[in-house]
Amino acid sequence: MSKQLENRGSFAPDRREFLKGIGGLTLVIGSTGLISACSRDQAEQMLAAQPREIEPNIWVTISSDDTVTIQFPATEMGQGSSTTLPLILADELDADWNNVVVETVSVHDEAYGNPFFQNMLYTAGSLTVQAYFEPLRRAGAQARKLLMQSAADVWDVSVGDLVTEPSAVVHPASGQRLRYGELVGLIEMPAPLPEVDDTDLKPYGTHRYLGTDMPRRDMPAKSNGTAEFGIDAQVPGMVYASVLRAPVEGEAPMEINDSAARAIDGVTDVVPLPWGVAVVAETYEASKWGKEALDVTWSQTSEFRNAELEADIEDYATRAEDLSQSGNTWRSAGDVEAAMEGAAEIVEATYRTDPAYHAQMEPMNATVNVTENGKAAEIWVSTQTQSLSILGAAEFLETTPDKITLHPMYIGGGYGRRTLRRQKYVEDALLVSKAIGKPVKVIWTREDDVKDGTFRNASAQCLRAGFDEDGQLVAWHHRVAAPRVLEYMNPPRWEAANGRDVIAMLGSESSRYDIPNFLAEHVITNRRSRVCAWRGVATSYTKFAAESFVDELAHARGVDPLEFRMELCRNNPRGRAVLEAVAEMADWARPRENTALGLALAGYSSTFAAGIAEVSVDAASGVVSVHNYWLAADAGYLLAPSNSEAQLEGNVIFGISNALRERIEIRGGQVVQSNFYDYPVLRMNEIPNIEVRAISTDYPPTGMGEIGLASTGAALANAVFAATGARVRHLPLTPARIQAAMQA
Amino acid sequence: MASFTINGQLVDVDADPRTPLLWVIREHLKLTGTKFGCGVGQCGACTVHVDGEATFSCLMTIAAVEGREITTIEGLAPDSDHPLQRAWIEEEVPQCGYCQSGQLMRAADLLARNSNPTREEIVAHMSTNICRCGTYNRIIRAVQRATRDV
Repeated sequence: MSKQLENRGSFAPDRREFLKGIGGLTLVIGSTGLISACSRDQAEQMLAAQPREIEPNIWVTISSDDTVTIQFPATEMGQGSSTTLPLILADELDADWNNVVVETVSVHDEAYGNPFFQNMLYTAGSLTVQAYFEPLRRAGAQARKLLMQSAADVWDVSVGDLVTEPSAVVHPASGQRLRYGELVGLIEMPAPLPEVDDTDLKPYGTHRYLGTDMPRRDMPAKSNGTAEFGIDAQVPGMVYASVLRAPVEGEAPMEINDSAARAIDGVTDVVPLPWGVAVVAETYEASKWGKEALDVTWSQTSEFRNAELEADIEDYATRAEDLSQSGNTWRSAGDVEAAMEGAAEIVEATYRTDPAYHAQMEPMNATVNVTENGKAAEIWVSTQTQSLSILGAAEFLETTPDKITLHPMYIGGGYGRRTLRRQKYVEDALLVSKAIGKPVKVIWTREDDVKDGTFRNASAQCLRAGFDEDGQLVAWHHRVAAPRVLEYMNPPRWEAANGRDVIAMLGSESSRYDIPNFLAEHVITNRRSRVCAWRGVATSYTKFAAESFVDELAHARGVDPLEFRMELCRNNPRGRAVLEAVAEMADWARPRENTALGLALAGYSSTFAAGIAEVSVDAASGVVSVHNYWLAADAGYLLAPSNSEAQLEGNVIFGISNALRERIEIRGGQVVQSNFYDYPVLRMNEIPNIEVRAISTDYPPTGMGEIGLASTGAALANAVFAATGARVRHLPLTPARIQAAMQA
Repeated sequence: MASFTINGQLVDVDADPRTPLLWVIREHLKLTGTKFGCGVGQCGACTVHVDGEATFSCLMTIAAVEGREITTIEGLAPDSDHPLQRAWIEEEVPQCGYCQSGQLMRAADLLARNSNPTREEIVAHMSTNICRCGTYNRIIRAVQRATRDV
């Protein structure tokens, strides 16, 4: 799917000859003036001999053979953007989708970057459609306008009398028709190119492709084994390396006994790394056996050796509850302190969340060929960010970004795992390839992937609510104790963030609710494991806490949790709409025997959503059975209905899996879990009945790739409370925790 | 050295007899449609057919497949036109897609032995295979669609 591109920032459209029809005569005009006058047939023969293309803007190239090539600035990891983004441009261009070729941008070029991420090529946070919808629409509309103007010139008619059909301009009055490819041969590229305004854009609801279920382009390759993921890279002359990694972050190999490893047939080299030891072999299996045969003595000095999950979370909780320690403000309104002082009643609760592993199906891997004495590299890797893969590798090799050639591949699950600036799997391969002078493929085992995982951080969150004498919620204080996740992921981005750690805090803004005095703050704690964005960024834990707390407040006031939220959304029609939709889907008011419902309103970024879980709880074991999950989401103008539903459904499964059982434990700085047998994720026979509804509204389109997850933790916890009367304030909601809460 | 048939072709592989079939398929024979997920028979991404039966190729050594017939996703059907593959596209099952070769090989094994499985039979059969993106409901729908098309 990927094709290496030239630097596309510096092209200038060629001033080619163009044809102009006046009566029966066709003029071929070059940049130096009239070349010849000839018949239309002769002119077409001249043009046919020379395929040509125009690039009205950086996003699209139209060729005289009718091919429309669209630049795709994101990466495809299952969310469907490699279809949806080009489709936006193709729709406004009115291109024939069958003639569209999609090219993935594989250079670090800020012209293609996502403005939400400092113009990096960076696919995360459900911000791809949100960032690129308008630019791609306008790029398509601009190219269409250019083609229509050219056709008007050719036919000497008013552009207002023309319409387009897929890849053709038509003059309905005369029946004349020119394909875009034909127009490319006739076009005069004006300088400057036509500007587009809103009137050049198709209004919502009038698109040819958007809003219909156009087939995702990656389906055939993902159904016949030909989709190439990072792990599938095959480079002539490549060897394999397996890396024995230090058991604790920060430790290094002190003594290496590699005699047994070197004795294995096929093992060719042993390369010490700052964080481990690489065994290089002609085959993958020999490298793995060699790794297993290493005898390494590790340093014992890392501060992380003291990391103990339970104690660390208790430390986080102490800090979250200590109001004398102020945090970094995430969102503030009114005066929380004064409002709390004047409140008639204050409610307070503390929630804890354990670390979580991405469990993406493709373990980390990279194939790298380092050349030019270690100052250049070619890299094949599944990445969510072309920019950081290139910049990170260039920094690591102490070279310039233009020396890094990146081949972005399909991604076997991203969920945030592949967004870091320092990509250790790439660095493994860079060091080994540099040391041995050959291309090398490094494949982490699943155990490596778990033990060296970059987890969703642990958190403790103290929530406080103040009610006035009329029982109105007048103050809300959400203190999130968590490490600086953004700093670990990408130090330069953290430095530019003014202390606002979106990865640790997203969701705690609770912006759907109308609460006059509000403060969400980041109480910064020590990082006790490797950390990274996880699916839904922080919302999987901030919304667990905030929406569990809303439920607690509703019950404390004796108000139905749906009514309580509807009242808080009094100035938020979109919030009310998703609440009403999901309540209707679940038949919220209907009493249940043996089961109970839990609700959460959990938006994500600019998308609105609400979920309801129906559960029963086995009192003896504390085991939760999830029977149904309903979800309604409003991501604005809906571009891809069926794919949106698939995203919502997958997120519900991901979220339930996490909320019920997913848990990484850290003991002595080591990750306890190893593989799917001790980090089990939801299987087909464990999923509930799921109903999702993607609502299309007249707002600009926003993300759908994570919104389905945000409500799951709280909806389940609230349903468990409704079923048992036991409030579990620690994610995941394990049977032991539920039993303990029931006995409390 | 081991000899076996893969996708109808007899191959001789010069590899240690302990080598997992998965790595021979992927890195010796370069048939990369079969995926590595866990290495311990927990996820099913590596599922292939050995003598027609769905098998975790990460757990089977090449010594154990001597003389046997292996089918991978690349050999499931001529032109990748198995009813399940058509159904996978029509139902738009894949998201990231990484697990789907294994899912398809697992499902094909079911349909070869049971041309009209119930939903419960599909779920029971397919629960060996993990999909982290959560495409399970579409997998069920696609298997049901393929059943109608067989």
